[in-house]
Amino acid sequence: MTENQPTSTAPAMPDELKESVQLHNLDGLVEAMSNLISPVANWARSQSVWPLTFGTSCCAIEMMSVGMSAFDISRFGSEVFRGTPRQADLIITAGTITRKMAPALITLYEQLPEPKFVIAMGACTVTGGMFNDSYSVVQGVDRIIPVDVYLPGCPPRPEGILDALLKLQQKIRTQSLAERRRKMGQNRAIRHVDYDTGLPMDSLQANIEEAKSLAQEG
Amino acid sequence: MTETPAPGNKPAEEPKELTAGPFGEFLREHGIASTRLPDSTGVETVLVEGKDLEAALKRLRNSQETELNYLVAVSGVEQADSFESVYHLWSYTNLKELVVKVRVAKSAVPEGKLPVVPSLANFWPAANWHERESYDLMGIRYSGHPYLRRILNPWDWEGHPLRRDYKQPVDSLNDKNPHSMR
Repeated sequence: MTENQPTSTAPAMPDELKESVQLHNLDGLVEAMSNLISPVANWARSQSVWPLTFGTSCCAIEMMSVGMSAFDISRFGSEVFRGTPRQADLIITAGTITRKMAPALITLYEQLPEPKFVIAMGACTVTGGMFNDSYSVVQGVDRIIPVDVYLPGCPPRPEGILDALLKLQQKIRTQSLAERRRKMGQNRAIRHVDYDTGLPMDSLQANIEEAKSLAQEG
Repeated sequence: MTETPAPGNKPAEEPKELTAGPFGEFLREHGIASTRLPDSTGVETVLVEGKDLEAALKRLRNSQETELNYLVAVSGVEQADSFESVYHLWSYTNLKELVVKVRVAKSAVPEGKLPVVPSLANFWPAANWHERESYDLMGIRYSGHPYLRRILNPWDWEGHPLRRDYKQPVDSLNDKNPHSMR
């Protein structure tokens, strides 16, 4: 593990809360039980990957098609398209992600509960596609959120989505719970700009550290 | 412009003064000066002064004779030496089309300022979002617009992307890996 990666441990408990709140660190238990639980839990997870209803352009048409009876994604347990990220496990980024859409996508990704997965669907979200060098398009969605399965095509056929889903299911079945838990902190969306202030996150971080050092001096 | 262009050179843009079309005549009758511009599609295209724009379009829209009451689009154009704001008008009753242009020479725009064209949005609400888009992408300031904010790009965008001299700053959303194929 390199230095700049965030650790998975929860933040330290404030002193005033220690008496009222009891939190046990489950890391050790999960670590020990992982080999036992993982096959069962992963089997259950992989058979019920609920996607988020997220479509920004023509790929979304194919995503709708795969939900209908001709292709019938419910054969693989993913027919429950949810309207809210709180109830979903998977984002299929169906369509071009513009710079204006990027903060919204990051927010949606952050609102997904763990375990969360991303399928980058279509050429636009894999590399920027035909919007190469465009001023307004994010050149690949993996620049802002971590991606599990890349699904190229413009747009991919519905069978392609089923294939990507099966690959994702394989991936889910092979992971270990302890491993997933350790990597939770790394699976973060990357905010380049803070949209409340309009400042780049780097300078925002610098501001915070400067304020901290000033507070320590004063 | 009495001189004929030298052989071999490209002919000048407007070789001869075009005669005013029916809408140009209509504008002249109402005391609004306009110049007819050549147009490859044969649609009458007139150039008016910025200060006359509102009066001209109000006349063209409300008069029984013309009734150009459908504003198809407002667009911004950057030419080599000027900025243009282009208004496409259509009349469903007469099935007639007219293109009105307002030109702001680049030399007339002070350094660091945007070219200014009067806004139509106060009497013609269809122009509201079109003018915002033209402002956002081409950087034409529509004076008197009730809410001239960026409409397509994020609010913190710098510059106007469809300008000739626009350069997108390279950041982590569009930089290229030197070893990458793309």
